Amino acid sequence: MAEERMTKMSLSEKLGYRKGDLKNFVKYIADDPKQACKDFIYGKEHERRNLGDLYIQPTGLYRHREWRGLKDTLYYFTCVWCYTYGTMVGDILTSEKPLSFFKGLWRYRWVGQTYIPVLHWYDRGMEGMRGPALRASAWHYRGMTYSTIEQFMRMFARDLRFNDGKETELWKKTVLHNETVSGSVFYPFRDGGLVDIPLEMIPYFVTCHVNSNTVLHYIDAIQSLGLPSDPCPMCQAEAGVGIMDDYPDSAPCFVTTNEACDASVATSIIQDWFLNRPLYAMPQPMQYDDPLVQKRCQAEIEGCWKFVEEQTGVPFSWESFKKYAELQNEQLYFEREKWDVAARTNSYPINGVAQALYRIYYSQYGWNKTWQVLDGRVRKIMEECVTKQIDTFPKTRHRVIAWSCAPLYYSNWCTWAYNCWGLNTIINMDSLMFDKEIRTDTYEHALEDLSWYNELAPMRAMAVGGHKHIFQLWDYMEQFNCDMVVMYDQLQCKGMQGIKGMFEDEFRERGIHAIWFPHALPDKRTVSRAEIRDCISNYMIDVMHEEPLDPSLLDFDDSLTW
Amino acid sequence: MKIIFKIIRIFAIVFAALFAVFYFDLDGKLLYYVYEPLMCKHYDNIEGRRNIVEIPYDMKEDIYD
Repeated sequence: MAEERMTKMSLSEKLGYRKGDLKNFVKYIADDPKQACKDFIYGKEHERRNLGDLYIQPTGLYRHREWRGLKDTLYYFTCVWCYTYGTMVGDILTSEKPLSFFKGLWRYRWVGQTYIPVLHWYDRGMEGMRGPALRASAWHYRGMTYSTIEQFMRMFARDLRFNDGKETELWKKTVLHNETVSGSVFYPFRDGGLVDIPLEMIPYFVTCHVNSNTVLHYIDAIQSLGLPSDPCPMCQAEAGVGIMDDYPDSAPCFVTTNEACDASVATSIIQDWFLNRPLYAMPQPMQYDDPLVQKRCQAEIEGCWKFVEEQTGVPFSWESFKKYAELQNEQLYFEREKWDVAARTNSYPINGVAQALYRIYYSQYGWNKTWQVLDGRVRKIMEECVTKQIDTFPKTRHRVIAWSCAPLYYSNWCTWAYNCWGLNTIINMDSLMFDKEIRTDTYEHALEDLSWYNELAPMRAMAVGGHKHIFQLWDYMEQFNCDMVVMYDQLQCKGMQGIKGMFEDEFRERGIHAIWFPHALPDKRTVSRAEIRDCISNYMIDVMHEEPLDPSLLDFDDSLTW
Repeated sequence: MKIIFKIIRIFAIVFAALFAVFYFDLDGKLLYYVYEPLMCKHYDNIEGRRNIVEIPYDMKEDIYD
């Protein structure tokens, strides 16, 4: 339907021009020049924004970007749009081998199709944001953009394809690992020059958020070989990238795990197949808080360290581990401060999508300098908000906690939900994982804590690690002062599907308003974004009997958007 | 002085042009309608990919045995 609609659109429609636009604009100024002037300087009030009218349906492109008032529009234009495009070029130029970017762009679909339109990812995440909420959320996005470029440039610089098959020094001192193996496992080798690269984080995970079309190609590729469509689509897509031979060959060895759940084991087998490299499997137990499994988990990590030493020649360094673990702890302390502000005040300046993505990204990737610099900037904004008691999301009607695994193709649903219904997503399940500091007083303590840290990874910590963990929702709801739950119903996650009925019973018994919406993780074809919005809107209208803040956002077609 | 005015004028023109690109989402439109379809066509036609399923998959030696 949407494709048909696209083919019938004229060029002017595709560019977002509508007959009468100019006339209406002139009339708007002539009718009330004083109001028009006020709108120009301060931006329209929330209820008069009509953000839905900005879209060119079904592409999700904007007829024009939002006018947020003079100050915020100039901020977004100079400090987000110009700054991000400029620094993206800068990040590539200052990488190890800048020219390898063009080779990568030409060879790998996931980089060419995904990372060029990255600014639209910013736009979608920050629609309607103003003032400190806009500034702090944008810094989080910037951090993720930098780390993404850092990772794919590292992959390209080492890729045997781009070095005539030559095993360079960079290649020899690199370890590939599953994106669900935390980067913190490799801290002991960082000062010795080792680089660890999460294999799927950039070719798969981040692409789904930035351009949801890219991953469909990989899901189709693996299904075309006969894989049924009901296994976890994350594992399907990760295997699909391998089948399409689209992983850069950038390290002599590989570390895998069964995180997030055992479906990942099947992906690891395919990765083992096409990489054909020495491989170390570092499994995590499903019932991870059983005291009997802790020694085993620690032995697995030590085994991994031995493997890395042998394969790369980089020696284990306690000092290196200690240094980065302490820096990571500092970052965790700041995260807890952020949670404290989010829980106790209305001055938390980070929106739901920026909070969720930034937290999962940095805790999975491990510490780097960028996080530290950007956290400093966010701290400044947050402290200003708290000191001046700025209400950062003034249209909040409900404080929402989002639970279970989120739709990657519509991670910005919470931006829409705030703009349309005043549903402010305070915190989400993924943000609460990895909540573990690492003691560095002795080797034994450090190993014990690192092992726990790794076990608290997505989705093991809550979703598939035993039902008592997933029911921590009630404690977190109270802690974050939330009055509503948005429950993600990942249709292909057998772990979470198994506990849905128990959640329903609990919600009813406790009298909690919970909105369920289905999704298929990265695959937007199974449940569209419009269906997700309908689930939320129907609940808000039929059960809550509320009126939308911005009715233009109730019904629009964005099925062909990035 | 003339040079300063010239620089200011150039800066103003560049600023206005970039703002127009930004405000009317011309970057998005170019990437969506032109860049992405061309690149996808290119990726669909890349030759010389390894056919993974034709590579034999053998059991490796256990390096710790």
